[in-house]
Amino acid sequence: MATNTEIGIAVLVIIGIIVSASTLFYTLDLTSRIAAIEEKLPPTLTVIGPWAGKEMEAFLPALQRFERLTGYKVVFKTFRAEDLAPILPAQFAAKKALGDVIFMWASFIREQAPDGHILEVTDQIDKADFSTGTYDPVTVDGKLWGGAYTGKVKPGFWYRNSTFAKYNLTQYIPAANGTYADFVTLLNKIEDTGAFENPIVSGDKDGWPLTDATEHFLITYGDPQLQKDLLAGDVSWTSTEVRAIFADRLVPLLAGNFSEPIDWTTGVELLWEEEYALYFMGSWITGMVDDPDDLGVFSLPGVEGFVFAADYFFIPAYTEHPEEAKELLDFLVSEEAQSVQVAQGGHLATNLDVPLTAYPVVDKRVAELMVGKELLLDLDDTIGGEFQTTLWSQLRLLWTSPTALDSVLAAIEAKAP
Amino acid sequence: MKIRKTTIIIHVIAWSVALIWILPFLGVLMTSIRPFNEVLFGWWNFADFHPSFNNFVEAWNHPNVPLGIGMRNSFLVAIPSTLIPMLVASLAAYGFARFSFPIRDYIFAFIVLIMAVPQQMIAVPIFQIMNSLGLVDNYVGLILVHSAWGLAWIILFMRNFFLTLPIEIEEAARVDGASDFKIFYKIVLPMALPALASVAVLQFMWVWNDFFLALILIFDSERLLATQRIPLMRGVFFVDWGVLSAASILVMMVPVLIYALLQKYYIQGMIGWTVKG
Amino acid sequence: MRIKIPPFFSLPALIRKSFFAPALILIVFFVVFPVLQTVYISFFSPSDEFVGFDNYFDVLSQKEIVNVEDVSKGLSQPFGLGALVHNMIWISIHLPLSLFSGLILAIILRDVKGASIVKSAIFLGMVTPMIVGGIILRFTFEKNVGIVNGLLTFLGLEQLTRSWMAYAETTLFALIFGSVWLWTGFSMIVYSAGLTTIPKEYYEAAKIDGASSFRTFFHITFPLLKPMTITVVTMTLLWELKIFDIVFVAAGVSGGPGGAANVLALQMWNWAFRAFDFNRAATVATILTALTLVITIWMTRYMVKK
Repeated sequence: MATNTEIGIAVLVIIGIIVSASTLFYTLDLTSRIAAIEEKLPPTLTVIGPWAGKEMEAFLPALQRFERLTGYKVVFKTFRAEDLAPILPAQFAAKKALGDVIFMWASFIREQAPDGHILEVTDQIDKADFSTGTYDPVTVDGKLWGGAYTGKVKPGFWYRNSTFAKYNLTQYIPAANGTYADFVTLLNKIEDTGAFENPIVSGDKDGWPLTDATEHFLITYGDPQLQKDLLAGDVSWTSTEVRAIFADRLVPLLAGNFSEPIDWTTGVELLWEEEYALYFMGSWITGMVDDPDDLGVFSLPGVEGFVFAADYFFIPAYTEHPEEAKELLDFLVSEEAQSVQVAQGGHLATNLDVPLTAYPVVDKRVAELMVGKELLLDLDDTIGGEFQTTLWSQLRLLWTSPTALDSVLAAIEAKAP
Repeated sequence: MKIRKTTIIIHVIAWSVALIWILPFLGVLMTSIRPFNEVLFGWWNFADFHPSFNNFVEAWNHPNVPLGIGMRNSFLVAIPSTLIPMLVASLAAYGFARFSFPIRDYIFAFIVLIMAVPQQMIAVPIFQIMNSLGLVDNYVGLILVHSAWGLAWIILFMRNFFLTLPIEIEEAARVDGASDFKIFYKIVLPMALPALASVAVLQFMWVWNDFFLALILIFDSERLLATQRIPLMRGVFFVDWGVLSAASILVMMVPVLIYALLQKYYIQGMIGWTVKG
Repeated sequence: MRIKIPPFFSLPALIRKSFFAPALILIVFFVVFPVLQTVYISFFSPSDEFVGFDNYFDVLSQKEIVNVEDVSKGLSQPFGLGALVHNMIWISIHLPLSLFSGLILAIILRDVKGASIVKSAIFLGMVTPMIVGGIILRFTFEKNVGIVNGLLTFLGLEQLTRSWMAYAETTLFALIFGSVWLWTGFSMIVYSAGLTTIPKEYYEAAKIDGASSFRTFFHITFPLLKPMTITVVTMTLLWELKIFDIVFVAAGVSGGPGGAANVLALQMWNWAFRAFDFNRAATVATILTALTLVITIWMTRYMVKK
């Protein structure tokens, strides 16, 4: 019967095409994997971090130092925490991991640690070598789950020395023991020059630089303890104390003194082009401008603490090189690695052994501001999760709709710890 | 005289609409070929104009996520993800068009309904399924999912096309003793080539442009597809908009070129599959 | 004696079934099965207890999904009006706007020289990857770099310039108009093809009867284009309900200031990958699917009837 052969052909062709296409690509894939394995003969460690461009170039010297010390190969890949958040949990479920050492939000490390996805590193780290509280965000039940590399501080408002000199503004920079009124005076003087779109440019990227500025206000006009209480969930965002800081100090500046939120990389350029006079930003700004020596910085008068955001990293339980990864961890938290990093500018060490002489000149200005001040954890990164995105989006709302203050605070409180 | 006036007005309107429509794309192009501080106050200012293609070279050989490799990967995924569903769906579509059996229309309606399901609906389970098959971070897995998701619309499209073919030729062949399968590949498929071209163009473009499924299933940095690489070109503290724009243009070029060259098939694909049954 | 094979298993019938087999296998494994799994998860609590429709009541009572407590404040309240409402606003503005601008363009372009170039320019948005479209939109509406403000300045409306995506009141509308820009090409192309199928005699007859061009349009052209209209409406509705990439890229993960441009698909993503609450995410996905199914059933009835 002719149809018999026809069935054979029909079925075979269909199955054949699917199978052959599958095997073709599977083998393609396999060969690339074998090639990858062969390449790894001296172990290759993959480090995942959020930095690109100049920030990445500032990180690579530390990794190169490690390569020279150990003879291992280290590959760096850029993945921002926002990009990792949706990918990693799925990978963990598959007992896979993107890299051997991964930089990520502390909140994420805490969240995943109890499920066995992350290697415990308690024995690797002596907390006494580091600034107080550095390791709290990656501690669960007294055990440590991640390392703290260097970090960034958010010291206050940056300006161009040359711009301030040009418009005779330097004399109005508020002194550390000054008042809120002094700060407002400066803003008014900037306004009076008529040369700027707004006195302060508000950098925005889904809302996070706005949270940094807000925290600075909360720490200055509340106190460092207030920020810690908010972090712990001991104080409500709708309390009179918190509300008063927003209503009396921040909100009056939003109409006119702060600009509308602007893409924050563009903000740096606009500060440089003298479109705006001030920019609230973290210490990494020094690595982003053409001439860091032209940058000046001051904090709100009376501030007693600064947010210091360490870059945390962890070793996934599914790494193929756990011992080598631990060696890299030991190196990244060491005085040696952190000295190399801080020398590139914009970073501050968590390791207390790093000498002040390791810092470039620009960062000395930041270091001066910080003398005698308390270091605090970053509010939104430390809590993470839905609170983080809610805080971001609510502050973006507040920036352009200051009258919504009460409902904004209520919305933040609803997701707060 | 009056007619000429309206003709002129219509031309002016039509061409200005086209111009306005293209402006945002020009913005991306300008950002990609000019230094960022030149476009800071609008790319339409040409006081300073220093075009260069450095950003394209940089995006192509990006140190972290080279777009060149991403484009190659995207082809590796998009070609089989186009061919497999084309063949599989044509078979089924022919069945729906020509064979009658009791629950045929219900199955067909069910398949059409699948077109409505948002991809988000399978985000979580598809990862678990692929993981248990060992096909996570593997193009085979992604190709299978793309193929399965393309089937619904291709079946609908091809079935509608087959219905327009004259059944007499097939019946004559059947009288001559040709089997169903022989009729399909000897007679029907050759006649269906234009329709298949439309299917290929559309399906290829959709797979190429996909971001969501790739995001879930592919994560090894060597294997990332082109669309996945664009967001990864920015770091947390540093965004080089010039390189990002250049990368966007490079990724866009493939569907734009296909559209430019195979416009006829693309448009037939866009309209043919929903209009008539 | 020969065994009689039931018709269902007879050889020709089996051949014919083999036509369907590969397609059905792929669809069952990679579409139907995961979809059912998502529906299943939506009836369970995170601790795997069966909770019936509780997740649905819970999700629909979240301010992120529906927030009509204080509509008078409009979008500038926390969470805007809720993702579901935003999707509805999206539909009510984007659908008529893109449909009619496509139709008008299709009609105008019949008599224009170089129409194919104009069409290609407008259609470019349809072939652009959505993730690129989102990046373009983000820039188009920025204060200094964006062309929208450039055009406003050109027209002497300088006081209107702003970063449109930064304000709760305008984010959603900026995105909607941006999506009209991306999507109008679809209705234009479909209607253009539809217009070529209308015989010239119809118009000549109408002209002889002395009908005005408006009457001709509403009594002849538009009714004859009904199949195209159904196509455009259906596909546009599905696209609007599933919209994700451009909001994700242009307005950010949190869906704009105070979530003023949040949409269902983005909220699902946030619950799944931010809060790691897969049950809630599955519930949103199921609601989204239910909405799209209603629309598709309507279309299918029209198409299978024929």
